[in-house]
Amino acid sequence: MALTGLEIYKNLPKTNCGDCNFPTCMAFAMQLAAKRVSLDQCPHVSEEAKATLAEASAPPMRLVKIGKDKNPLEIGQETVLFRHQEKFHRPTGIAIKLKDNLREGEIDKEVEEINGLKFTRVGEEISINLIAIEHTGVSAEEYARLVGKVKEKSNFPLILISPKPEVIEAALGVSSEGNPLIYVANKENYEGMASLAKKYRCPLCVEGKDLEELAERTAEIKKLGVEDIVLSIDSDRAMDTLQDLTRSRRLALEKKFRPLGYPTITFTTEKDSFQEVGQATTYICKYGGILVIEGKKKWQILPLLTVRQNIYTDPQVPNAVEAKLYEIGGVSSNSPLIVTTNFSLTYFTVEGEVTNSKIPTYISVVETEGLGVLNAYAGDKWSAEKIGKTLEEQKVKEKVGHNSVIIPGLVAVFRAELEEDFGWKVLVGPEEAARIPAFLKNEWKVN
Amino acid sequence: MTIPDVKQKWANPINTVTIGAAKEGGGTRTHTISVGGSTTLPFLHFEGEIPHRPVVAMEILDIVPEDWHPLLSKYFSDVWDNPGKWAKKCVEEFGADLICLRLAGCDPDGKNQGPEEAATAVKSVLETTGVPLIIWGCGNDDKDNEVLPKCSEVSAGERCLLGSITEDNYKTLVALCKADGHKLIAESPVDINIAKQVNILATDLGLDAEDIVIYPTSGALGYGIEYVYSIMERGRLAGLSGDKMWAMPILCDIGKEVWKAKEAIVSQNEVPQWGSQEERGPLWEATTAYVYLLAGTDILIMRHPKAVKEVKKYINKLIV
Amino acid sequence: MEKKKVRVTFQPSGKTVKVDKDTTLLEAGAQAGVYISSICGGDGICGKCRLIIKKGNIKANPTTLLSREEIRKGYVLACQTTAEGDLEVEVPAESRAEKEKILVDKDAQRFRALYPQAEEKTFFKYDPLVQKLYLELPKTTLQDNLADHLRLYREIRRKRKIPIMQSGLKVLRILPKILRESKGKVTATIGIRGKTTEVIQIEEGDTTKESYGLAVDVGTCTVVVHLVNLNNSQTIDAEATYNSQRVYGEEVTRRIIYAELKGPDKLREAIVNDINNLISTLISRNKIKLNDVMTLVCAGNTTMVHLLLGLDPSQIRREPYIPACTSPPPIRAAEVGIKINPRGLLYTLPSISGWVGGDITAGILATGVNETKSLTMLIDIGTNGEIVLGSKEWMVCCAASAGPAFEGSGVKHGMRAAAGAIEKVEILADGKVKHSTIGGVKPKGICGSGLIDVMAELFKAGFINRSAKLSPEASSRIREKNGELEFILVPASETQIGEAIVLTRADIENLIRAKAAIFAGADILVKSMDLEIKEIEQLYLAGGFGNYLNKEKALVLGLIPDISPDKVQFVGNTSIMGAKMALLSREALERSYEITKKITYYDLITNPGYMDEFISAKFIPHTDLAKFPSLAKKL
Repeated sequence: MALTGLEIYKNLPKTNCGDCNFPTCMAFAMQLAAKRVSLDQCPHVSEEAKATLAEASAPPMRLVKIGKDKNPLEIGQETVLFRHQEKFHRPTGIAIKLKDNLREGEIDKEVEEINGLKFTRVGEEISINLIAIEHTGVSAEEYARLVGKVKEKSNFPLILISPKPEVIEAALGVSSEGNPLIYVANKENYEGMASLAKKYRCPLCVEGKDLEELAERTAEIKKLGVEDIVLSIDSDRAMDTLQDLTRSRRLALEKKFRPLGYPTITFTTEKDSFQEVGQATTYICKYGGILVIEGKKKWQILPLLTVRQNIYTDPQVPNAVEAKLYEIGGVSSNSPLIVTTNFSLTYFTVEGEVTNSKIPTYISVVETEGLGVLNAYAGDKWSAEKIGKTLEEQKVKEKVGHNSVIIPGLVAVFRAELEEDFGWKVLVGPEEAARIPAFLKNEWKVN
Repeated sequence: MTIPDVKQKWANPINTVTIGAAKEGGGTRTHTISVGGSTTLPFLHFEGEIPHRPVVAMEILDIVPEDWHPLLSKYFSDVWDNPGKWAKKCVEEFGADLICLRLAGCDPDGKNQGPEEAATAVKSVLETTGVPLIIWGCGNDDKDNEVLPKCSEVSAGERCLLGSITEDNYKTLVALCKADGHKLIAESPVDINIAKQVNILATDLGLDAEDIVIYPTSGALGYGIEYVYSIMERGRLAGLSGDKMWAMPILCDIGKEVWKAKEAIVSQNEVPQWGSQEERGPLWEATTAYVYLLAGTDILIMRHPKAVKEVKKYINKLIV
Repeated sequence: MEKKKVRVTFQPSGKTVKVDKDTTLLEAGAQAGVYISSICGGDGICGKCRLIIKKGNIKANPTTLLSREEIRKGYVLACQTTAEGDLEVEVPAESRAEKEKILVDKDAQRFRALYPQAEEKTFFKYDPLVQKLYLELPKTTLQDNLADHLRLYREIRRKRKIPIMQSGLKVLRILPKILRESKGKVTATIGIRGKTTEVIQIEEGDTTKESYGLAVDVGTCTVVVHLVNLNNSQTIDAEATYNSQRVYGEEVTRRIIYAELKGPDKLREAIVNDINNLISTLISRNKIKLNDVMTLVCAGNTTMVHLLLGLDPSQIRREPYIPACTSPPPIRAAEVGIKINPRGLLYTLPSISGWVGGDITAGILATGVNETKSLTMLIDIGTNGEIVLGSKEWMVCCAASAGPAFEGSGVKHGMRAAAGAIEKVEILADGKVKHSTIGGVKPKGICGSGLIDVMAELFKAGFINRSAKLSPEASSRIREKNGELEFILVPASETQIGEAIVLTRADIENLIRAKAAIFAGADILVKSMDLEIKEIEQLYLAGGFGNYLNKEKALVLGLIPDISPDKVQFVGNTSIMGAKMALLSREALERSYEITKKITYYDLITNPGYMDEFISAKFIPHTDLAKFPSLAKKL
């Protein structure tokens, strides 16, 4: 387990000298515990303390990098089992699987389709991350040619799938500088695969019939000098994979069990599109480091990428919606105007109640750095002045034909200044969103 | 290599709640449905018992919906002027485990129907179907307190699941449930503490904790789902760890959320980049359900027949 | 064109002021020196500034905060009303803050009782910051020919070990004459100014008998001054009043905003006037000469000290909450307008951060958190609810934005602990309500300890549920008025104010929010150190509660952590106590600087878990009963 602030403090000089730029040793220790600073910032810490603290802060799960210059992917080094405990650090890498039996003309089309799997949601571009190429029957040379072709046509890092070291080596010949992920070292081939991974300095997936065998294998492979290992958790049934993923994450984090202290790779096995998304969703939510899927229709990929975006948001950073003028329902120039903050929960609650009221309404969202009404006020993230200026910037007066604005009851204090300095007629709304419908019905009047 | 045991020994199982009463239970349902009872986190069979699988209820209204999307209306418009027929179709053609009757017609801002009309809808659903019933008010506290007593009365003994109580409005419904032998949905606004507070207030009035199902509010995929997800995970962990006020089964009401989401209702013509809407709409609903299943939901309320079918199929793959 | 002037007379004081015609009556009151309650600072929202128009014409904005009946009786809101012509108005009792004598609080006794129990606590050495020394200088001779000031220093050093000394020009100018006229028999007043000691005054003969100092608690809501005899450390008298900056906003944040917009002068003048008025009352009542009051030591939150000294507070309210200065040097009191001996010195206790001020440093000094081996928590229930946790080894602190509800603000009939304030409440088995007031007079409001009592009693009686919602069916004393539920604590016939004293739904909500903020802060602070509440070995509860705080009831409410009652001690106003300790001991002042260097400020505003903890604590006693094991058994 990570050290607490108090435990770290005991190892610091306790002089409150301030050379670390924090006011006290305790303040510094708390920042260290939260992993926001590094120990080097204290010039006076003893060697002994350094050793103690370094030991305790070593990550229980290895960080593995795949790919190089363009779109590199990092997986692993996760710290918690549940996102609310801290956050999930490295979003699941999503790979689309191609097979080597593609005909010449099909390759371009398929790769182009994969390249197009990107979307923009809440201001962020989300896309898949890797292309996996599975060897089935072709010769090593043909496989290598295919790999070379895909590499040329696409910017995504590759996963090379074959149990045959000679096939993998042929492919590495044309792709190793892109740091692809090798799949897979098993009971029969692991020595050959390990030497390839070492020779080409590429990360290596390892499989076993169960977690016990998998742990043995990673230990052996580590002895052969390969450090960048990815655990293949790939049973046919979603139920089994989910449980193995859970056990391996618990072993790594709770037991500090080093042979399984690596990120994972999983594969969907369902052929039906809806069922495949079910499986994929399960692995994104529950500990999949890399997820390899076959379906690549846009309507399948969009929800999957959204699941990943949602689950991997930082639960400690409040989510924000875009600060702009929203129109709820069929608004007209007589519709009421409500002001609120850009904390998404606040906004969605207000929006929900406005919808409930069935009264078309404008909602002007003010940029408050994702804080709710009261916190934003206390933190000076919004003020009458800010609201006034926001309403000007959003050109609200071009839309509404009246002069009245509803502000949240919790910041009734803004009223005077908004009226005096910005010329609005201010109506102080309810403190709780739940009273918005009643308020809009009973209190709202166009002035 | 032997590896350490990572099974957790949880202090407390999740409560088992049985909805619906068959003949021997004093009701008229053909069967009952039990949810909860697990002694581990969702689908971790290696660790504990999961005696009951999550179930899917299909949502119907007591009036003809005004704003249901064409992707939905094409399945229901032939029956939705009659709650009994609508419910029957959901059960017989689309495999609904339960029916959730939402009394949208009572909304004072809408049709403002009275207790009699609501009770008629309840009775007709009970007559045409044999599955257990969820009855959900219109969300206006005063109106629900006026309408639900009648609905409770006409379904007395059927052990329906009634919704919903909140921190500000729980006394009437708690009394009804105690009198007529129903179960209750306890609603809270995406807040782990308020969810618990509603349960405490209700049990302080003498309601059994075993009569409660938690509804922590639901967001659609892409619309705040991660908040609800983490609250459900935290709540379930608390429940298993011995917190009796979080040891209830959890309900997610996703149909009404999903079918507001852009990604479900915008056509392919408008956003070609998103692909087929025919598939995208129901898949958005199914994926929302998949996510909540992993956080521990026990009852899902859904709308689209295809989404219902696929989710039920996937649940079976996660249960032995 | 000059505006028309009108004359406004305020009853019952009879104070009159001439103001411009457009001036609000609230502003007119401030100019006349008549205090009128106001929470929103004139926004027309709080409904506190009620006046009754006796004579004359007014112009008033419409308001929903007055009932039709009240309007018929002539009630107006001072901030929403201007005079059309000359006017006579009455300030009704509930809008008034009389400067009646607060019961000299029993802090002194309480603290004497406290020390023997804190085993490691050592008394600070008696060594006042400013003291008078009687000196007899030997005659000058050709051999002993040191300059006058050096002769003076030599003589002082024979009495006190003082390495560095200095004198101001004013003293040096009169020194030769005084020394000779008095034949070397003089009284020197020396005061500590950092590392040096200043001779601030020189007088003929022996005046050491008359030597006084003041300890001042500059609170956001209330200002308290204790008059201390520096010769024997005795507290002679005490006096308190509302901080009249309240007209410019109840909360610290709003005052900072006001200072930024309108300049800090009005706020400084307001607080300086308050202190001067209190001083003048104290010295005239005790027949002391102003000139014999040589010093004052002020403890207050960071913003109050900024406003008192005229420092710019504007960054305190903005992340990352930076004050201009946490340890202002001693200055001459006259520099900020405080009227004591014109050469007298003003000290301020150092602050810890923008949101944890010198009042808390004072609290630590007074309770000795920094001296003890036991894990100790100090909760100061003031406008901001500051919490300190720690011991000799380390200390952390935070400020919970509790709001001023427990100081009686933001509560319809709330008031400070003064005569007429309900301080104890009991609801009997038959639903009857017993109460007692400070001074035993008819009630006119409820103070903090009364508010804690009434909330706990409402809960115990089942009149509010665990989410603090009133249950109208539970008692005939719960009624609906103007669309809101309220609990009648005292019927109109038994009060001083001609109306019932009630606790409204909004009051209850404010109090629950305040208690939740304080508990959440305490809980997060304990958690931030990976400790548990049960590990706390002693808990001090501080606050300006007058003489009484029922710790069992504070626990029932979930205001304080659940630890054994014998480990909980109500320590009263530790801000004034710490100020007094510094006044009497240079060592204590130095220790206060050490405290601020050692303690770590923990910011709650940016803590991502705060909101969850807050909601969890917004329940009686708490959503998580595991945090209140002793109550869990009873519930």
